[in-house]
Amino acid sequence: MNMLTTNPPAARLTAAETALVEAFSAQIGELPGNGAVIGTRDRLLDDLKKSGLPTRRIEAWHYTDLKNLLRAIPEAQATAATEAVAPLVDGATVLSVLQGVADSRAAVDGVDIASLKDRLVDGTAAAGLTALDKDDAIGRINGSFVRDGYVLNFPAQAEIAAPIELQARHAGGQIHTRFPVSFGEGSKATVIERHQAVTEDAALVSSISDIVLEEGAEITWIILQQQGLADTHLGQIRVKLGKDAKLRLFVINAGGKLVRQELRIEVVGEGAELTLRGVNLLGGESHTDVTLVLGHNVPHTNSTETFRNVVFDRASGVFQGMIRVAPDAQKTDAKMACNTLLLSDEADFAAKPELEIFADDVICGHGATVTDISKTHLFYLMARGVPENKARAMLVNAFVAEIVEELEEEKLVEALEDIVSAWLEKHA
Amino acid sequence: MLEIRNLHARIAEDGTEIIRGLNLTVRAGEVAAIMGPNGSGKSTLSYILSGRDDYEVTEGEILLNGESILELNPAERASKGIFLAFQYPVEIPGVATMQFLKVAMNEQRKARGEEELTTPDFIRRVKEAAAKLQIDQAMLRRPLNVGFSGGEKKRAEILQMALLEPSLCVLDETDSGLDIDALKIVADGVNALKSPDRATIVITHYQRLLDYIIPDTVHVLYKGQIIRSGDKALAHELEANGYADIIGQAA
Amino acid sequence: MPAVQETVDQVRRIDIDQYKYGFETVIEVDKAPKGLSEDIIRFISAKKQEPEWMLEWRLDAYRRWLTMEEPTWARVEYPKIDFNDLYYYAAPKGTSGPTSIEDVDPELLRVYEKLGIPLREQEILAGVKTSRVAVDAVFDSVSVVTTFKKELQKAGVIFMSISEAIREHPDLIKQYLGSVVSTTDNYYATLNAAVFTDGSFVFVPKGVRCPMELSTYFRINEKNTGQFERTLIIAEEGAYVSYLEGCTAPQRDENQLHAAVVELVALDDAEIKYSTVQNWYPGDAQGKGGIYNFVTKRGDCRGHRSKISWTQVETGSAITWKYPSCILRGDESRGEFYSIAVSNGHQQIDSGTKMIHLGKNTSSRIISKGISAGKSNNTYRGQVSIHRRAENARNFTNCDSLLIGDRCGAHTVPYIDVKNASAQIEHEATTSKISEDQKFYAMQRGIPEEEAIALIVNGFVKDVIQELPMEFAVEAQKLIGISLEGSVG
Repeated sequence: MNMLTTNPPAARLTAAETALVEAFSAQIGELPGNGAVIGTRDRLLDDLKKSGLPTRRIEAWHYTDLKNLLRAIPEAQATAATEAVAPLVDGATVLSVLQGVADSRAAVDGVDIASLKDRLVDGTAAAGLTALDKDDAIGRINGSFVRDGYVLNFPAQAEIAAPIELQARHAGGQIHTRFPVSFGEGSKATVIERHQAVTEDAALVSSISDIVLEEGAEITWIILQQQGLADTHLGQIRVKLGKDAKLRLFVINAGGKLVRQELRIEVVGEGAELTLRGVNLLGGESHTDVTLVLGHNVPHTNSTETFRNVVFDRASGVFQGMIRVAPDAQKTDAKMACNTLLLSDEADFAAKPELEIFADDVICGHGATVTDISKTHLFYLMARGVPENKARAMLVNAFVAEIVEELEEEKLVEALEDIVSAWLEKHA
Repeated sequence: MLEIRNLHARIAEDGTEIIRGLNLTVRAGEVAAIMGPNGSGKSTLSYILSGRDDYEVTEGEILLNGESILELNPAERASKGIFLAFQYPVEIPGVATMQFLKVAMNEQRKARGEEELTTPDFIRRVKEAAAKLQIDQAMLRRPLNVGFSGGEKKRAEILQMALLEPSLCVLDETDSGLDIDALKIVADGVNALKSPDRATIVITHYQRLLDYIIPDTVHVLYKGQIIRSGDKALAHELEANGYADIIGQAA
Repeated sequence: MPAVQETVDQVRRIDIDQYKYGFETVIEVDKAPKGLSEDIIRFISAKKQEPEWMLEWRLDAYRRWLTMEEPTWARVEYPKIDFNDLYYYAAPKGTSGPTSIEDVDPELLRVYEKLGIPLREQEILAGVKTSRVAVDAVFDSVSVVTTFKKELQKAGVIFMSISEAIREHPDLIKQYLGSVVSTTDNYYATLNAAVFTDGSFVFVPKGVRCPMELSTYFRINEKNTGQFERTLIIAEEGAYVSYLEGCTAPQRDENQLHAAVVELVALDDAEIKYSTVQNWYPGDAQGKGGIYNFVTKRGDCRGHRSKISWTQVETGSAITWKYPSCILRGDESRGEFYSIAVSNGHQQIDSGTKMIHLGKNTSSRIISKGISAGKSNNTYRGQVSIHRRAENARNFTNCDSLLIGDRCGAHTVPYIDVKNASAQIEHEATTSKISEDQKFYAMQRGIPEEEAIALIVNGFVKDVIQELPMEFAVEAQKLIGISLEGSVG
């Protein structure tokens, strides 16, 4: 725990901080936006400059000292060539964001769609460019630099059968995307947010999805992060969950060098239900931090959160999960679990599950485990003739598969299981 | 087939000696019952035979077809033909039963230098064996042992035994937790596997199971040693008089 | 269920504002002038007739402290403390240090009698034989008497006030003081190093099992007085000692500061069991007054197979900031933390533990039961850290919070840092209110609501209560009942 008693002195800017400030002055002329947007960008960058990148002294960044970990910013690569690929599941509609640029001709039947760039230019996106709090470095970076993305509005009662895949691919450089999405009353849809590196060229990626579920919406949202070994990925999803809305949110991290994935979820409507599942596959020299802040703000809501982490090589993993129950949010039922298989003596994992409860009639709990593979399981498999290395691989796969299978849609489960086994084969 | 000579073994963690100079020979084609009161070392013996590293062999020898197995890990022993039907089969969420069966069968075949099974061949074998044990397909679609009832778990163990075709079957308290109908199904499954080149060790506390799986020899295990051996009449004697008499005679 | 019945009886008798130990004793005192400076530290050191090196040690700490800032990370709020508006030394007149019982001011003896602390050995002997406990009684800044010293001496156990130990056993003090909690550790510990006035010293030599429970009883009496006691317990190879501290203070409108440091050292195969029943004045129903309890407690399992166990029952204080910790340095060493923290009224508790696994095959166990009522806030904050070389470390943590009423808060902030793949770490936490089903069941059988709650709460904390030495378990249960009075409705 943070037992330091002195405050950080006002330090000079680090190389990465300086690079960010310089990139901003270099790009300001070409960043899309009307006066309001430019004003907001200026303010966010100014705040970033003043506070610097967060350090471990900031409680929310205790395990991910961004100031220390983010050493440099790659050069912008505006013209790097990438192209869209087949969607994760057959029949999905692909909305591509290639090298940070959305496809201006993209369309989905039954959904209002616009490029974020257009909304920055006409200024309607200005109000959304916010930092959530004084420690929201991702909000500040993304708000300063964001160029494009999609703005999606699902009309009330819209039922979109085919999954929509937001396919963000890049070949290195600076990529800042954003996806404001509103799901109207009673709408139903599945959205796959997929971040993928095409090359091993380093990238700094920031991406914010800002989603609102109106009354009774039933949505599945999947974040699949497959960045390259040199990439920094700063992801954030902001969620507002309205009355009786149901969200299934799956987050899979299977790439990146320095990853921070923030899940900032506010449950604001009675009867709302959140099912959050996460899989973190960590290997190499990567540092991956998943930080959840979940607010139960009204009575009669429930949520379950389960995270499974496997850690190989010299990877370090972080899970921070705060469940906040506001005064009067009675009858909240929230359960969180974070289970980690730590499979290398050079790897490490830090977990900080947190409960902050201000209402009494609640059932809240969390569990966290960090263990090796179960000896009993291993013995059973070996007693049936499965050699040890194969038995271990099966058990690691099973540990993750259990979560993926909860998605139920066969095609999705299969596609994700393939990604998981391919990753494990490469690392185990 | 199996020869255990002056076996001494203890719990690795705290050094408690459980098996204290055990001798036992089981011939090919034989069904040997090992009986004994609680805490006599019955389950420990089954774990030591299958190579669980929670136990340490400090003295003695275990020979399977004349070869020592003490240096082999559990998977290697399984490939040599040792099968343990667990008293409490462990639930492994996330591992699909069918996938597990296929990997186990093929790994054992690989270790013995045999061809791997084709998928259709594999499925045919599983279906046939499952039908005999009244195991329905829905059960096979579930993760390994997860949510199975006690009886279903025991039947699933016998199914694995049938599919893996071991030469030495060790049944650890296979009758525990079974009602009479389930017990018959399981016993029929075991009896169907009897063959001149396969030996079976039935570990049990009660004589009941031995009405259905008729033993050729019966051995009484007490404080880590075989204190008496005989034929099936010995099991009936135990049933009638309890363990106290025999223990008294041995003491 | 006699214990429960007693709790219920206590609850009936006592109103929330009737803090049982809130009386004040009028006793002539020696006081240092108000404020903190090098001169005050010299004054304290001189009063204690300390050697020069001790004074230097204090002054070093003081200079360091001047450069430090008060920590703000805990979930507690209070107005800034004016450290120059406090007295740092107050002693009953004529007692600059412990004396034999015959020389103790009868008025003081009456205080301890009133508190239920037996200081006359013959009285104790006349009582139940099994509950013989040696007591070091600390009144404001000084130890007034230590009982059973001679009998303990026979066994080779040194039990005396730390002021005496500094004079009589300088080598042990030099070797161990500040070796677990260094003078630069944190703001309050550093302040304590500069100005500590008394406390207990225990030394159990190799192979000795301490023949009786040891205990210290702290009492803050004087107005505007900070209490800064320092306790040092050393168990040599194979030694065993069980130690208990208890605390009370008069009821006062202003806040009083208590900043203690406790250091435990366990060598090979040694075991130290440290129990606390903390019942400082919590402030009144409006949140006025009460003790600020800012305490640093740490045990060092320095030897192989050593064991340190912390058990705490925290019911008092306006603010508690306290994390009794274990450094598991020796191979196969074991740390335990059992805690009950009850907050009511406007109390704020931020407490927990740190288990730092450094040696091989180390294990730790954390059981924390938080109960929040009234408008209080109760936070468990704990860290389990498995270092790179700590092979086969084991930890089990269970933190349960119970909420009584909808205006209080219960928070759980565990930090789990694992750097070795052979570790097995299990943490679980729950927060809920008292089960309506259980309450209804009890009430249906004719038990009134408050009694039903007391019954359920006693069940909730049972796992920790049973870790306390028997004599104190009953006392602790009573205290919990009293602390929760007024929480229903």
